[in-house]
Amino acid sequence: MSSTLDATARPTPPAGRGRGRRPARGGRPTSRVASGNTLSAGSALGLGIALTWFSLLVLIPLTAIVVTASERGWSGYWRTITNEQTLAAVQLTVGQALLVTAVNIVMGTMIAWVLVRDRFWGKAILDVIIDIPFALPTIVTGLVLLGLFGPSSPIGLDWAYAPQAVFLALAFVTLPFIVRTVQPVLGELEKDVEEAAASLGASRGTIIRRIILPSLTPAIAAGAALSFARAIAEYGSLVLLSGNKPFSTEVVSVRVLTFIENGSTSSAAAIASLMLFVALVVIVLLDLIQRRVSRRG
Amino acid sequence: MSIDVTGVTKKYGDFVALDNVSVTLPTGQLTALLGPSGGGKSTLLRIIAGLDTADSGSVHIEGRDATKLPPQKRNVGFVFQHYAAFKHMTVAKNVAFGLEIRKRPKQDVQAKVAELLDLVHLSQFAHRLPSQLSGGQRQRMALARALAVEPTVLLLDEPFGALDAKVRKELRDWLRRLHDEVHVTTIFVTHDQEEALEVADEIVVINDGRVEQVGSPDSLYDTPANDFVMGFLGDVTRLGGLMLRPHDIEIDVEPGRPGAVQGRITRVLRVGFEVRLSVETADDAEVKVELTRTHAQQLGLVEGGTVWLTPAVGATTVVATQPVPA
Repeated sequence: MSSTLDATARPTPPAGRGRGRRPARGGRPTSRVASGNTLSAGSALGLGIALTWFSLLVLIPLTAIVVTASERGWSGYWRTITNEQTLAAVQLTVGQALLVTAVNIVMGTMIAWVLVRDRFWGKAILDVIIDIPFALPTIVTGLVLLGLFGPSSPIGLDWAYAPQAVFLALAFVTLPFIVRTVQPVLGELEKDVEEAAASLGASRGTIIRRIILPSLTPAIAAGAALSFARAIAEYGSLVLLSGNKPFSTEVVSVRVLTFIENGSTSSAAAIASLMLFVALVVIVLLDLIQRRVSRRG
Repeated sequence: MSIDVTGVTKKYGDFVALDNVSVTLPTGQLTALLGPSGGGKSTLLRIIAGLDTADSGSVHIEGRDATKLPPQKRNVGFVFQHYAAFKHMTVAKNVAFGLEIRKRPKQDVQAKVAELLDLVHLSQFAHRLPSQLSGGQRQRMALARALAVEPTVLLLDEPFGALDAKVRKELRDWLRRLHDEVHVTTIFVTHDQEEALEVADEIVVINDGRVEQVGSPDSLYDTPANDFVMGFLGDVTRLGGLMLRPHDIEIDVEPGRPGAVQGRITRVLRVGFEVRLSVETADDAEVKVELTRTHAQQLGLVEGGTVWLTPAVGATTVVATQPVPA
């Protein structure tokens, strides 16, 4: 199961990835890294390789985006990102991504709970099926959704070319993230901790609220960050069903592609840098919330 | 009487964990449930706490029928072998938990927590997280947490089992002193007979889901009800159809005492102040004898030497029905 998590988590930005998942982590930093310049030769080599790799893959391309975005000067940059159609696309993307992440926090935690704590027929199958949104090529997801919720919907729900289509596609592709981050942490929670709380007089609700959820918060936050990052980047699964109508169902990634196809790389880079900023803000916010909640108890 | 367990039976599938167990545990005392692993002692403790339910039988706590009560309503404190610390809360918050969910006023909670942390010598660690404590400290925190709600009974399930030998011994002494201070009815589960003999006022020996014997440490040691209890509470050996303790055998280098059994020393092992002998007799392949080093030197015992063995006067003996445990 962890292999599927690793394999599917790779395309997402590595910033903050997995850090919050350690259940034992408290808010206080308990750094094991020696302070100052006391790295051993082995650690120095490891750090060097990690930084080089990270720079090649992430830092340098990101810097290139910012440089490209600034080619036409501040006013050109400002004009691109305050363009009404662009703003509408950003609003739709970020709004739907936040909404989907919020839904995932509830549904994903619940599915993880059911998979870990309950015994029922078909549990093993469900456990495998959860990963299908990861495994399916996104354009195939688009086709599946178009078949079910398109103009010829067998269940009579024609959401094609409507903003709901964006939500639906995002919800489909991001479903597994929180399930897969919460599941192992929930599985490792010791039963005797809950029993201790019960014998101290805590009701089931109190145990969930004050003991279980705070222990799960780092995992939920990590999953939520992944889910949000994936949602603002999604392209393949929603292009077919959403129809990419400007001011209605056009998402940022489609807008970026349009700019590139029109040869306007600097405009595309400008939007990209804006989304980079949004992603950073959300990831930092999630981390702050997580620290708060997991310390509350 | 504090806790009355009557006719409790608990099965896990085909495995009978407790077989019609009835036992009364007295108020204000420190009682040990002693027995080998898998004998049912932890199950009994969990049934008293309400963490497991008995298939049949009843549990009364201070005269109140608790058989059907959930753990929240039993007012018992439970301490687990692996601490069961609330990892995301500070030590003080852990201890305060039971009081906070009872909605006690803030000042009362703070005062009680301070008092308890002082009692378990953790005052200076109040703001640490459990992960920053040693095992012994975590267990003391768990104990303070359980005591905070002023339980009618304090139940400890192998409380020192996960600790190393030295800390174990310290905590054992400390628990005994704590109990003399606090006087809450305490039951603890252990498989370590030395721990039970040293700490408990009363010992309940449980084996194979049944109570083998109940009594004070001395009475159990001196008058064991059967060879299981005898064997579990200390070393035993066999001399001519009797089970007795190796230090309860008189050893002579010449015949003389009535009923002495002749044998040959096959092994001499010196451990500190003590000398352990293996003696081969006509009836028994290996009789174990223990004596002090000074005594052994006086007698001049060597491997291959011939000796005569007699049960000491006043020795605890049980007629052997089982082979001597290896």
